[in-house]
Amino acid sequence: MVELTFKRFTLNQRIQHILFFTSFILLAYTGFPLKFPEAWWSRWMIESVGGVDNRTIIHHFSGLVMIGVSVYHVVYHILEKPRYDILFNLKDFDDFSQQIRYFLRYSDEHPKFGRYTWKQKFEYFGAGFGAVIMGFTGLLMWQPFEAMKYFPLGLVQIANLFHTWEAVLASIAVFIGHFYDEHFGKFPNFSWLTGNVPEDEMRHEHALEYEEAMKNRPAGNPEHGEHKKNHILIVGFARLVFTIFFLAICIWMLWISYKVLLEAINTYIISLL
Amino acid sequence: MSYIFFLILTFNNSIVSGQSDNVDISCYHCHPAQVNEFQKSVHFNKNTCKDCHGGDLNISGSIVSINVMHTNFTGKPSPIQVTDFCSKCHANSTSAYKESIHWQKLKEGRPAASCTDCHGTHNILSSKDHNSSTFSANVPGTCAKCHENQSRMQALYYGIRTDRFDTYKKSYHYKSYISGGRLLATCSDCHENHDTRPASDPKSAINPANLPSTCGKPGCHVEAKSTFIYGGKIHEEQSVNLLSIDVKKLVTYFYILMILFELTFTLGLIFLGITSNFELRRRH
Repeated sequence: MVELTFKRFTLNQRIQHILFFTSFILLAYTGFPLKFPEAWWSRWMIESVGGVDNRTIIHHFSGLVMIGVSVYHVVYHILEKPRYDILFNLKDFDDFSQQIRYFLRYSDEHPKFGRYTWKQKFEYFGAGFGAVIMGFTGLLMWQPFEAMKYFPLGLVQIANLFHTWEAVLASIAVFIGHFYDEHFGKFPNFSWLTGNVPEDEMRHEHALEYEEAMKNRPAGNPEHGEHKKNHILIVGFARLVFTIFFLAICIWMLWISYKVLLEAINTYIISLL
Repeated sequence: MSYIFFLILTFNNSIVSGQSDNVDISCYHCHPAQVNEFQKSVHFNKNTCKDCHGGDLNISGSIVSINVMHTNFTGKPSPIQVTDFCSKCHANSTSAYKESIHWQKLKEGRPAASCTDCHGTHNILSSKDHNSSTFSANVPGTCAKCHENQSRMQALYYGIRTDRFDTYKKSYHYKSYISGGRLLATCSDCHENHDTRPASDPKSAINPANLPSTCGKPGCHVEAKSTFIYGGKIHEEQSVNLLSIDVKKLVTYFYILMILFELTFTLGLIFLGITSNFELRRRH
């Protein structure tokens, strides 16, 4: 059976994404153990990168990579042909309410998404603002005495506060939300590597973009054809491994958010009562 | 009656015969725990019990210890006495200590840390020894013995907060050590070990004017020397106000709501997605 694939991401975009998520994972992996140094997994994670000093080097280097990719992305947007389909528009509100109505069985019609769904737009801008917050606060915390030449110490402490909260917020969004939508739901999803999306996924997740692409497609173009292979055992096993990994990471994120919320509530709310 | 005296004398002689210069059997007889501790300390072979407790070792040896105790004997020296006899050998450290807030309060007749409260009594070890109470990694615990004790801190001096160790635990100085790395600054590195003064004292290492040189000690934040450190205390949680609003509280409230919202939203949508038939339709 020949199945169509659709090129959704260019090589440039894929490299940006790979650099961004590699640095993101390294930052989370080397960052959270320092937030919870007394947790049992913390010591193990720090040992696995070769001690506290290595942890710091990896964290700083990955931070620089993330800042670099983010700056490059802005430049890329300016230099490339500007695109507006990533911006929020009125259709997203309709899509959102229609999707919720569909989920709650008030409607049988699932909304037809364009190139970017409302959730993907949220993730994109969340990652953008997150990178800005994490980058600036991280730089302040990296050189606190350099920062204190211009700002009071309290600002460095606020940077610390932002850095932790934003890290938890971003990690929940990525490790639970993004992983579930893009990898768990569409397993195995290799579009981050190849840039290609199979036809059934395209029709299902991005119906409007699919219709648009089919309209503009030259008839009988063979170069997009690809033989669909079935490796049920391999894919099934990989899916099992990924599910276990995904559940573990979900529990980890929930534990972290529980701890952070508990500490904040104890410090700022219980003390007021 | 004379029979009893005879017994005491015989027993007494047997102890004296077993006595060496340092292990003084007369004390060991009733205080084995203390003498055993003392034998492990740095003072063993340099000092004897007499140096701190007084008494006369030449009259040593009696079951009731009357003889040992008859000259200048102090069972439990007062903190001021402790400082006095430490100063005999450790003149520099003691004179530095006598500048400290601890000594000032002690002189006023209030209980405060003297030499033995930090260094230990019989079991004094070198500060390079990992078991020592003054070993850098053990210093926070040693200070916390008193400074974490709420009843002690509040009963004596108003305004000393007991969360200093807890707030220190959140700093990278301590986290690095807990995670298996080097121990960075401990209490005494910033507050000084002997010469501990309150921040209001202009000579204090933690007086705002002296902070650049305290943080900028060799091997620490050398770049701090040229920095004017202002606006907030390192141990304090709430320190920044913007238009009379506590910014930290504002940020915390904002993110508590954000994270609760995000968790509900993300997990809720996953749940709704699973229960809906949208994923199933893909295969048809």
